[in-house]
Amino acid sequence: MATLVRVDDLRKEFGKVRALAGVSFNVEAGEWIAIMGPSGSGKTTLINILGGLDTPTSGQAIVDEVDVARLDESGLTRFRAQKIGFIFQQFHLVPYLTAVENVMLAQYFHSATDEKEAQLALERVGLADRIEHLPGALSGGEQQRVAVARALINHPKLILADEPTGNLDEANEETVIQLFRELHSEGHTILMVTHDPAIGNLADRRIEFAHGRLVKVTPSNDASRNAYR
Amino acid sequence: MFWRLLWKLLRGSGGRLAVAILALVSCAMVVSALLNLEFDIERKLTQEFRTLGANLLISPRNAQITGSSPAEVMIESEVSAAIQSVKDPNVMAAAPFLYVVGSAQNTAVVIAGTHLEELPKLEPAWRIEGEWKSSQAQQTACLVGRNVAQQLKLAVGSSVSLTYLKKNAQLKVAGIIDAGGAEDNQVFLELAEAQDLAGLPGQISFAQLSVSGTTTGISHYAARLAAALPAYEVKPIRQITEAEGDLLSRIRLLIVSMIVLISALTALCVLGTMAALAMERRQDVGLMKALGGSIGRIVTLFMAEVGVLGAAGGFIGAILGLELSRWMGQRVFGQAISSRWEIFPWTIILTVAIALAGALPLRLLGKVKPAIIFREQ
Ligand SMILES: Nc1ncnc2c1ncn2[C@@H]1O[C@H](COP(=O)(O)OP(=O)(O)OP(=O)(O)O)[C@@H](O)[C@H]1O
Ligand SMILES: [Mg+2]
Repeated sequence: MATLVRVDDLRKEFGKVRALAGVSFNVEAGEWIAIMGPSGSGKTTLINILGGLDTPTSGQAIVDEVDVARLDESGLTRFRAQKIGFIFQQFHLVPYLTAVENVMLAQYFHSATDEKEAQLALERVGLADRIEHLPGALSGGEQQRVAVARALINHPKLILADEPTGNLDEANEETVIQLFRELHSEGHTILMVTHDPAIGNLADRRIEFAHGRLVKVTPSNDASRNAYR
Repeated sequence: MFWRLLWKLLRGSGGRLAVAILALVSCAMVVSALLNLEFDIERKLTQEFRTLGANLLISPRNAQITGSSPAEVMIESEVSAAIQSVKDPNVMAAAPFLYVVGSAQNTAVVIAGTHLEELPKLEPAWRIEGEWKSSQAQQTACLVGRNVAQQLKLAVGSSVSLTYLKKNAQLKVAGIIDAGGAEDNQVFLELAEAQDLAGLPGQISFAQLSVSGTTTGISHYAARLAAALPAYEVKPIRQITEAEGDLLSRIRLLIVSMIVLISALTALCVLGTMAALAMERRQDVGLMKALGGSIGRIVTLFMAEVGVLGAAGGFIGAILGLELSRWMGQRVFGQAISSRWEIFPWTIILTVAIALAGALPLRLLGKVKPAIIFREQ
């Protein structure tokens, strides 16, 4: 398997705060990684840097042969559009756009919109009958599924999800996690921040952070995987 | 998708933008009304100024009207031929004058021969008691100035006897003129009568014209007339044309400064709304950036939104403004101001520019760091 993500001695400081204090690890294409650790340990900071939303203070973060640290503003913009699919804890759908338009927004900034394709993506996540709904008329789980459809629409190399189930109740969490399992089985590369060890166990590996450092890497086994409900 | 997004943006923040739209519409309304007025003001004002009387004088070179008879005279037929030949629709009235100093009932008076029926057109401000021209043709009519009538105790219908040198003429007072000037001391009669009385057949002292139009238009006409009358002097009566030009430029200045002021105020109003909107949209912008939207595209989207607002506001405002100027014309000049449709695009362009200037805070959205936005919740 090819290595998709290469992180080497990555550091990020916000003034005196060391959010990342020298982190190194690799992610193979098709891997599902769970990033875990206490609050403030640097998980979101890592996701932001890998997704080109933030730049590191030093070190390398190579995604699909591109060193994110070396990209300028417009390079980062292209990088985000072409290589990354984001899924946030707060969904971040545009409230005055319908479900399908929220998906099309990602198409619009990537290249050209294709409403048919956007509709298919929503059908894929089980929202065939919610296509013209505004986010306000959708449940949290439905909103997150729209966000998943949006993250996938441009066929990104890497899916970055920051606590995607953090705002969901159990039933909704389950449908969204089921989606991630499907994405994984289809071969998508996923980096997912989660506090839930049960969800972490579904991933191929768990990477644990503390105080901006990587403290533990645990490969999951089938036993733990099957333990998830 | 661009237009779809634009439409959704506009709808999504409709309430917020209502204030901005209102400001833009009223701005466009006042501006288009003022522009319409500004385009029409010259024509309207010069029409108004024609009530001030003649503004063009044809006189002999080095004319002096001293002594009992004019030192130099002009040939009536030459002057009228020239006026006929240099055609101009702006000539409102033209009248030859022959002035002599004679006496009426042993009192010295200035006797002015002219075409009596031209007088009300030439001097619309003059008031008359009686008629401009006698309806009874049997007796030769004259108009007497207010002071003359008072002095000689003349009333409409009285007879008056004019004497010049040895000659004598018996006339009937058709009207008493109140001109509020030197003319109140004069007696007006038909030119032919005066020429007969003065023994100067076919001769006149000068001619006066009332020409409407701009200051430059009047000078052009004067120049053409002068070319047709090389022997005489043709010149605008300066106080009047200068007063016109002066007032016109002052009103113009007033209009322009009002437009600037209103534009600035509107831009400020839009600025306030947009600053609030920009704050509200930080999340959306952060998201668009995360989705790979470039600063340029995102800001273009918001600017286009504001541009559409400006265009819509300008369009509605321009229509209302033309109505407003029609109404103002009615009130100020007692006459409808014709709507100038060429103002339409200018008003819209100006309103769009104002809206875009007011939308400058939206540019700050370019600085939004998505990483920070997503941390805010
Ligand atoms: N923009 C910033 N300015 C200053 N400090 C920051 C900024 N962003 C993050 N930090 C700090 O960096 C550290 C790591 O933050 P980060 O958000 O990566 O933690 P996290 O692991 O995602 O925590 P959580 O589980 O609560 O989301 C924290 O101490 C945080 O306060
Ligand atoms: Mg976090």
